[in-house]
Amino acid sequence: MSDAPDTHGATAARYFIDESGLRALTAELLAAGTEVVAPVATDVCQSPSAIASSACLLPGVAPVDIDYKLLGDAAELDLSRGLPQLSLKQFFLPEHEALCRWHQRGIVTTIEEVPTSFAPRLVLAAKPCDAAALAVVDQVMNWDYQDELWNGRREATTVFNLACPVIDDSCFCTAVASAPDDTKGADGLLTPVEGGYLVEATTDKGRAFVEGHKARFTSVDGAPAAESRERQAADERAAARVRVAANLEIDPASVRDWIDTHFEDPLLATLAVRCNGCGACTSVCPTCHCFDIVDEEEGVGHGTRRRCWDTCQASTFTLHASGHNPRDDQHVRYRQRINHKYSIYPLKFGEVLCTGCGRCTRVCHAGQDIVEILAAIDVAARHPEPVDSGAEAVKP
Amino acid sequence: MNELREIAGKLLADGDVRVIIGWEHARRGARPVFITQPDEADKLIFDRRCVHNLATYLNPRRDQVSELGKIGLVIKGCDAKAVAGLLREAQMDRTDVVLIGVKCGGVLEENELPEALALTPDNVAPRCYGCDNREPTLVDFLVGESQPEPPRPIMTIDERVAALEGQPLEERWAFWTEQFSKCVRCYACRQVCPLCVCERCVVDKTQPQWIEASSHPRGNFSWNVTRAIHLAGRCVDCGECERFCPVGIPLTLVNRKLQHIVGERFGYKVSDDPESPAPIGDYRLDDQQEFIK
Amino acid sequence: MNIYHPQLAAVTEVTDETVDTRTLRLEFTDEAVREGFTFQAGQFGEYSVFGAGESTFCIASAPTRKGYIECSFKAVGKVTTALREVNIGDTVGFRGPYGNSFPVDDWKGKDVLFVAGGIGLAPVRCVIWNVLDRRDEFGDVTIVYGARSVGDLVYKRELEEWGSRSDVKIVTTVDPGGQTDDWKGEVGYVTPVVEATAPKADNAVAVLCGPPIVVKLTLPVLEKLGFADDAIFTTLENRMKCGLGKCGRCNIGSVYVCKDGPVFTAAQMKELPPEF
Repeated sequence: MSDAPDTHGATAARYFIDESGLRALTAELLAAGTEVVAPVATDVCQSPSAIASSACLLPGVAPVDIDYKLLGDAAELDLSRGLPQLSLKQFFLPEHEALCRWHQRGIVTTIEEVPTSFAPRLVLAAKPCDAAALAVVDQVMNWDYQDELWNGRREATTVFNLACPVIDDSCFCTAVASAPDDTKGADGLLTPVEGGYLVEATTDKGRAFVEGHKARFTSVDGAPAAESRERQAADERAAARVRVAANLEIDPASVRDWIDTHFEDPLLATLAVRCNGCGACTSVCPTCHCFDIVDEEEGVGHGTRRRCWDTCQASTFTLHASGHNPRDDQHVRYRQRINHKYSIYPLKFGEVLCTGCGRCTRVCHAGQDIVEILAAIDVAARHPEPVDSGAEAVKP
Repeated sequence: MNELREIAGKLLADGDVRVIIGWEHARRGARPVFITQPDEADKLIFDRRCVHNLATYLNPRRDQVSELGKIGLVIKGCDAKAVAGLLREAQMDRTDVVLIGVKCGGVLEENELPEALALTPDNVAPRCYGCDNREPTLVDFLVGESQPEPPRPIMTIDERVAALEGQPLEERWAFWTEQFSKCVRCYACRQVCPLCVCERCVVDKTQPQWIEASSHPRGNFSWNVTRAIHLAGRCVDCGECERFCPVGIPLTLVNRKLQHIVGERFGYKVSDDPESPAPIGDYRLDDQQEFIK
Repeated sequence: MNIYHPQLAAVTEVTDETVDTRTLRLEFTDEAVREGFTFQAGQFGEYSVFGAGESTFCIASAPTRKGYIECSFKAVGKVTTALREVNIGDTVGFRGPYGNSFPVDDWKGKDVLFVAGGIGLAPVRCVIWNVLDRRDEFGDVTIVYGARSVGDLVYKRELEEWGSRSDVKIVTTVDPGGQTDDWKGEVGYVTPVVEATAPKADNAVAVLCGPPIVVKLTLPVLEKLGFADDAIFTTLENRMKCGLGKCGRCNIGSVYVCKDGPVFTAAQMKELPPEF
């Protein structure tokens, strides 16, 4: 069992670490000045409905608000396996980020560069769906032009996932080529087992990290106690995959092709009708990456040009200066979101722009349900109706 | 509920309305539904999970909805106040909509549940406490049984506002800085608010850029405070802004504080009577003017 | 330096083409950039006024002319209004060149027809100069250009220059009612004037740019004259921010105007979903 291939087909060296060891390792990193990003339970949230929509609702755990944060202390590390409100996106594509700074005095202008290399840091106990999203967005960030800011942060960061038990029935990672124990976009995986965590490093960067802190880990290759832990880990991960697969099964290729050939189909307009265009879904989404570029003056003759998160759901997203707006109603903007994620991005980069985390559904308090929408499109794709089906739809 | 379905079905069958906007049961609980056929009326429900303020769908900028034709809207008391607000501000005509009021006894704070629970101090939406409009008057029909008052929540919104007011300025500033620094500028609060109907919101204006777009604390303070002030005297306490906020900023506290101020200075409380003049758009000769020196 | 970091360019000439359209000539302040900058006809850039922001315009000068670039614009928004305030000697920012280009090399030996309306002449002008600077590589060159009135014609100096060349046929027109007493050109909308000019479509390509209505009405006329869909070229604009395919804004279906365009053939345009 200790030779069982990891999710990427290569044999991964396996280790064990218990919880106090994990916290001690974290403390060591923090003491050495390394940034550690991890889920932290916070009581800063004042709104019960926000807690309810995205927090850990696993049995036996009190509902709390969880966020990925830079740890100040190893004690803050939350290992409850709940879902952080916002994804890891903010650590690679910050909500607002300086692109350059200008200084103008008279006609003399200077532009200050911003750094594109960053101090090494670790993300610990990441959700596999959030890490997988990083690999998906890597594609557009390197489409001909290399985005040094994104790439610099990716290079500087080592990501270790914590295998997920599946949050609820709005998760659907397996329907979009990910899994609760995926290591795509990450450098390793922790799986909870009795007494602690089984640790696998799946990339050179992950292996280097473990090697660099070897004293904290116990190798389990060949150890007798290891076998039951291995089995426990494998069982837990397989069970999680089965649980989430029951939430949604689609054929992404058929969905992609149906969307591509049914641009004006009333199905999407009907499914979009309750959307308020609030953009909450895009802000919590790990793969949504649309941004705006703005100049912000900070004094006479100087300021910062920033990029900041934007949303295709905003009415002004595609508004021309002339007043013309190619997407001037909400259902058309909603269609764009579905198209971009499940058809345009796959056509361009071969990957769905979604890792099935389910945040968009949980945070949509108008009741838009991506599981329902994908299932409906999948049905339409696999069972094409005759042209004049007369199906009633809420058409514009 | 049968009464509601019958009325809705008949309105559609008679062609009095082209669409009924109400609530339906879905995978994650109750949610808005748009029905255009009489036989879909059976989808309509009303229970304590029906938190959504459906008046937001009356926004004149929503072409997809307005092009359907005359709307039949199912409303609770708070929702009726929002409709009154739109009428008061001439955003729509009374004849544009048929209003089906429901008698309400309060809603759940956390409504995305498979079944409606009985209300307790733990689970009731705090904004329901003290509601003065549980049987809306701005209606064409009023359905349902009279409901008892909602239970008092563990901490009412007024108590939370008072607790904040009791803190020294530095602590209040720190609290709101922390809350607003969470803001990701998704504008969910604005989009869902039934009274945020400006064709071009002040934050989207670029000449000049009144409010910075980036989500740093300075930009976020500008945005959240500006929005709150733009709603002073108009906010109906539906709580949707806070419910929709993906990062859990307690917006109802800001709105409630501004309501206190409007009440003190103008003697005004939002109602569902569209004829009652609101501070914005009306004046009285005895309005306070001690600030004019 | 990151891909969003702009180059600095000094404004060396300001020309008011019409009451509301201005052309700026820019020279990069960095000598190496100035000497080495190249682009293809049809490409665009992100021009910026620091403090106001960036705006997308095609590079309106010809790639065959080194040492400077030009842009033409109307003041309709925040950035273009700020661009109207800049004077000779001021510094602006530039990122580019981005996008695809007109496949001018493929047109060797062919006749080239240029049809433009209003400010649509700006992206076409760079191709016209590109072709004229390599004149003997091409067959007949015909230009049909129209605007609402005489005052709205852009690049008036160049219209005269092209008119004075014996190796170019140019027809200029203004809409009925837009003529002045001393107007010597045609009077009529661009579309019927193209039809009347009846350029040969055999072994020819057409470049068409203008307000959406001009493009929409002229395409069928070009087809009637015998131009194939893949021999008609136009340039689209859409709201852009990054200009290089990452901000997710300018796509029409799966076509990104900043990467797959802005130059498209009529055949490609017909494939686009109705969202532009």
